[in-house]
Amino acid sequence: MKKKILLVEDEKPLCLLYEEELSREGYEITAVMDAEAALAALRSTVFDLIVTDIRMPGKNGIELITEIMGLRKDIPIIINSAYQSYKEDFMTWAADAYVVKSSSLDELKAKIKNLIGA
Amino acid sequence: MIETYNILSPDFERDAPRELMLLSIVSQSIFQPFSLEDNLLVILTALTSGSGVGFNRAMLFLKKGDRLMGEMWLGPRSAEEAGLIWEVLSTPGIGYVEIVEHNRALVNKSEDTLSARLKGLVYAADDEGALIPAYAACRKEILHVRDAANDPLVDRRFLNIIGIDEFLCIPLIARDDIVGEIILDNAITRTPISPSDIKLAGVCGLMAGNYVYSTTLHRKLLDMEKMAAMGEMAMFVTHQIRNPIVAIGGFTDQLLQPGVPEEKRSRNLAIIRDEIRRLEDIIYQMGHFLKVSLKEPVYFDPGPVIAAVLDSPQVQAKARGYTLSLKLDPCPPEILSDPTSLGEVIRNLLDNAFDATPAGGTIQIRGYRKSPKAFVLSVRDSGRGVTNPDKDQLFRPFFTTKENGMGLGLPFTKRVMDTCGGKVEVRSRVGKGSIFKLIFNSRERESTP
Repeated sequence: MKKKILLVEDEKPLCLLYEEELSREGYEITAVMDAEAALAALRSTVFDLIVTDIRMPGKNGIELITEIMGLRKDIPIIINSAYQSYKEDFMTWAADAYVVKSSSLDELKAKIKNLIGA
Repeated sequence: MIETYNILSPDFERDAPRELMLLSIVSQSIFQPFSLEDNLLVILTALTSGSGVGFNRAMLFLKKGDRLMGEMWLGPRSAEEAGLIWEVLSTPGIGYVEIVEHNRALVNKSEDTLSARLKGLVYAADDEGALIPAYAACRKEILHVRDAANDPLVDRRFLNIIGIDEFLCIPLIARDDIVGEIILDNAITRTPISPSDIKLAGVCGLMAGNYVYSTTLHRKLLDMEKMAAMGEMAMFVTHQIRNPIVAIGGFTDQLLQPGVPEEKRSRNLAIIRDEIRRLEDIIYQMGHFLKVSLKEPVYFDPGPVIAAVLDSPQVQAKARGYTLSLKLDPCPPEILSDPTSLGEVIRNLLDNAFDATPAGGTIQIRGYRKSPKAFVLSVRDSGRGVTNPDKDQLFRPFFTTKENGMGLGLPFTKRVMDTCGGKVEVRSRVGKGSIFKLIFNSRERESTP
C-alpha cells in the first residue's frame, strides 16, 4: 500500500510541483494550502508523514506542528521552508527534519525516504 | 489666562546676565536637529562670542576610540579679524542659525585656519602620564594653566600651536567617561582668565559632554536600526525570491525529462513565465520603495485626486462585486501633501481594503474636517480585520498578511504622511473590518470672487 503524505504549502506552483514529484516517487499525496485545511485532513485520514511550510497565511507551520503534537505525537514531520533562519527557532526542533526549499527536490525526497521508506 | 512661549527662542532682555544668555545658546544648540559638528561649533561660539563667556578662542578635542583627537578650533587669527567676527556675532537679533552659518564658513574658509593646524594633534585618552592638554581629560579635572612655557607638564607641540602661556582645559565628561576636551584662551586680548569664567566654562563643558555622549548613542542606535531593517529585508527578499526560483527550477527539471507530453510542457512553460514575472514585480516594487523620492508638500484640493483614483480602470475592475461608496465634504479645504504620492496612498489603501474583504462586502471612503486645520480621509472596509499583534507591525517594512504581498504599501503610506506633517491611524476589529484614517494639515480655500 502506498505511504500517505500530507503536504502543506501555500504557494500554488510549489504545491503542484511537490505533489507531482512526490507522487512519482510512489507516495499518495494530499496537498492543502493552509494549516486549517491540514488539521481537517488529519482528523479524517491517517497519514504516514507531514511536509509543511512555515510562513503561510493564518496559522504558520510552527503553530501547526504544535497542534499536531496534541493530536498525534508519533507522526513524522518535515519542515520545508524558504527560510534557513527558522532552524534557530527551537520550536522547529520538534520536527524530524528541516529542509530549506531548493529547486532540486533530492534532499526532500531523501529525508522522506529516510523517515518512512520508499 | 494662559500665555504661550516659544521653547526655542527665549526673548531675554539685552542686559540679561551673560551666564543666562550663554546657557540659553548652548541648550538651544543641543535641541536643534543640526549635525553634531555644527552644534559643537555653536557651543564653541558661545564660549568665544561677545554675548557668551567671552574667551577669545576655543579648541575642541573629541575622543575617538582610545584617542583624543584635535577636531576644530574657533577664533580669530589676529586682532583685526577678531574685531570683524565679534562685530557680526554681537549684532542685535542674531540667532542660532546665523551663528552656525557664519562659523561654518569661518571654519572652512581657508586651509590656514586654526582647525587645520589642530587636526594633527592626537593623544592617548587614558594615559595617566599624559601631558597637557590630554592630562586634563585623563584626570577628569579642569586645569587652569598660567605659565605654560615653563611648565614641563605641557606638551611642547601643543604649546607651539596654541602660542600662549595662559589657557583653560575643560574635560568633556558624560557618565564618568571622557568624550572630549575643550581648550579656551584669550590670545588676542590677553585678558587673564577669572574664577567666574572657569565656573561658567565648566558648566558648558558638562552640557557639551552630555550632548556629545547622547549624540554618539543616537548615531549608534540609528545604525543598529538600519542593520536590523536590512537583516529583515534580506530575510524577506530571500523568501520572496526563493519560492519562484524553486518553482522555475523544479518545473524546468521536469521539462528536461524525456517524453514530456505537450500539455504538460505548455503548462510548465506558463508557470515558469508567471514566476519570472513575479520575480520582476518583486524587483520593481523593491526598487520603487527604496528609491522613490517624495516631492515637497503643497496645498491642494483633494477632490480631483480621489476622483482620479476611483475612476482608474484598476480600481474599477477590483470594485466589481463590492459596494464602494464615497462621501466627501462638498467643499473640502486644501490639504498639505504631494498629489502624486497621495494618489498612490489612496490606491494602496483601497487595494488592501479589497484584499481583506470578501466579495459582496462594503468599502467606504470619507473626507471630512476634523478641525479648522485638519482634514481626514478615511477608508473603511467590512473585511476580516487585523489582530492586535499584527496591528503593531502594519507599518513596518516587509510585514504582510497577504499571500503575495511585499509589505511595502503601508510603510510607504506612513512615509508620505510623515513627510507632509500628517498622521495615519488605524482601527480594526477581527471579523468586522478596518478603518485607515489619513489626517492632513489643511487650510481653507481663498474665496474666489
